[in-house]
Amino acid sequence: MQRIIIGFLLFLLFSCQKEKITIGTNVFETFYLENAGASMRLLVEGNTASHTFLIIVHGGPGTGSFVYDTQYISQNIENKYAVVFWDQRNAGASQGNSNGNNLNLPQMTDDLKKVIELIKYRYGQNSSVFILGHSFGGLLTASFMTTDQNQSMVKGWIMVDGSHNYPLNDTLTRLMLLKVGQQQIDSNKHVSDWQLIISYCNAHPGNFTLKESDQLENYAEKAETYIPEVNQFNLIAAMEAISIEDDLPITSILFNYLYSGNAGFNAALAKTQFSSLLYKVVTPTLLLYGEYDFICPKELGEDILNRITAAEKKMVISPVSGHNLMFQDEVLFCNEVNDFIAKYR
Amino acid sequence: MNLRKFCLTIFLLTIVLYCFARTDTPGRLSDSLNLKASYNSSLIYPGARLGAEYSVKSFKVVKTKKSGKMKDFDKERFVSANLGWYHHPYFHDNFYFTAGWTMRRTKSTGFFTEFSPEIGLSRTFLGGTTYKVDNNGNVSVVRLAGYYYALLSIGGGVGYDFSKIRHKPFMLFYKFNLLSLYPYNSTIYLRPAMEIGVIYKLHFFHHVKSKF
Repeated sequence: MQRIIIGFLLFLLFSCQKEKITIGTNVFETFYLENAGASMRLLVEGNTASHTFLIIVHGGPGTGSFVYDTQYISQNIENKYAVVFWDQRNAGASQGNSNGNNLNLPQMTDDLKKVIELIKYRYGQNSSVFILGHSFGGLLTASFMTTDQNQSMVKGWIMVDGSHNYPLNDTLTRLMLLKVGQQQIDSNKHVSDWQLIISYCNAHPGNFTLKESDQLENYAEKAETYIPEVNQFNLIAAMEAISIEDDLPITSILFNYLYSGNAGFNAALAKTQFSSLLYKVVTPTLLLYGEYDFICPKELGEDILNRITAAEKKMVISPVSGHNLMFQDEVLFCNEVNDFIAKYR
Repeated sequence: MNLRKFCLTIFLLTIVLYCFARTDTPGRLSDSLNLKASYNSSLIYPGARLGAEYSVKSFKVVKTKKSGKMKDFDKERFVSANLGWYHHPYFHDNFYFTAGWTMRRTKSTGFFTEFSPEIGLSRTFLGGTTYKVDNNGNVSVVRLAGYYYALLSIGGGVGYDFSKIRHKPFMLFYKFNLLSLYPYNSTIYLRPAMEIGVIYKLHFFHHVKSKF
């Protein structure tokens, strides 16, 4: 009896952790990368037979990659290429013990490098890899692209409502809140809400502390919802749609998010910028920004566009988007990403 | 507290509770021992739990209501040791050992409620092949990848004791447990789990047996 039980337990464990690599057109597989105290989950979906991989570098820090796994992206990108949903350390379904000391940008940049090496190990060294950074993922991908020879590992860099320069980001957010806020007040829309925001912005002119930066982000998040032109995105509804289907570990996502969002390294991030290093980037780059993104205003994209030395670069603005262009303007997002990958893979 | 110290603490706690139980209630071990088996569903995910509980204290309480009616129930205290498992696809399998203190109150009709805090050790196994990449880009597979966590659990449940009226040696129960794993990514991990199972009374078995 004892042997049967032990045998059954070992079968369970080995069947879950047995290496399985699928080359196909409709793949769904999960594996983990262990690095510096964290086991980070990677979910690969779509067409691995294309040997072309789009790695989603999510925002936050700490939000997890689950939210990007929408039906529209499945039907319009994964049918052509494979999409890699990577949960960064201390985010989503990633696991570990006391690893908070390793939660910093250089370590996460190293994680991303190893994610790419792992993808190429599993699916072939000739695989074409593209990285897509959203929001905080923009800072992480900017760090990756400007570190050592990392950019030679990827065929293209896609930035969606991302930030590569947090101090500049805060300044631009404040200016946009003031400008659009005044226009909205003049049009008699959400007057009391905008007055509150404008008065805060006027009282906090620059050289922002982390607390001020967080407050500006809170106002930026709210501001987007006051704009009628924006296709509003409901995160809770999106989570409900995929939580059971994708076997999401809800409490892991929640506690990782709370921890990472309040972790000490956010203070260092608030002072981090890669504008001065962007001249190093020669890899094809696609920049997608929402016209009404107060959190990461489109001028950040313009700063990247002006500074990188890549010969192939393009910036597209969605007129109906705020900070989540991939959900708020799905058609534009998928068309632009597919065209970009097709061109440079 | 490091893992070794924690394991030692759990082990010693179990031993102390067991010795306490042994001295407090004389007689054969099986006279006060119940065995538990349950389906241990973590939300929608499957699992199982096996355990044993040892009666430390048992007494009858009789209360008189304002109406003059008598109301009586049994209060029992147990120490317990349990081995649990749940499977969350693509996330992890979690095997956990706990030692606990169970407080149960059983009405004369057989219906009971219980509450139990538990402490233990958890070992997870990640829900997918796990790789390590060294600084030269060499990739290797990590065998039996996963983590040890300290575990605290609180649970409450209801059930029916078939020995009270129907003289059968078992109880059926439903219990909700909230597991917390620590340190999980330098923070905590909470996991709700629901048990539906049976408790078998060895004690009752011996009594029945002794009649023949």
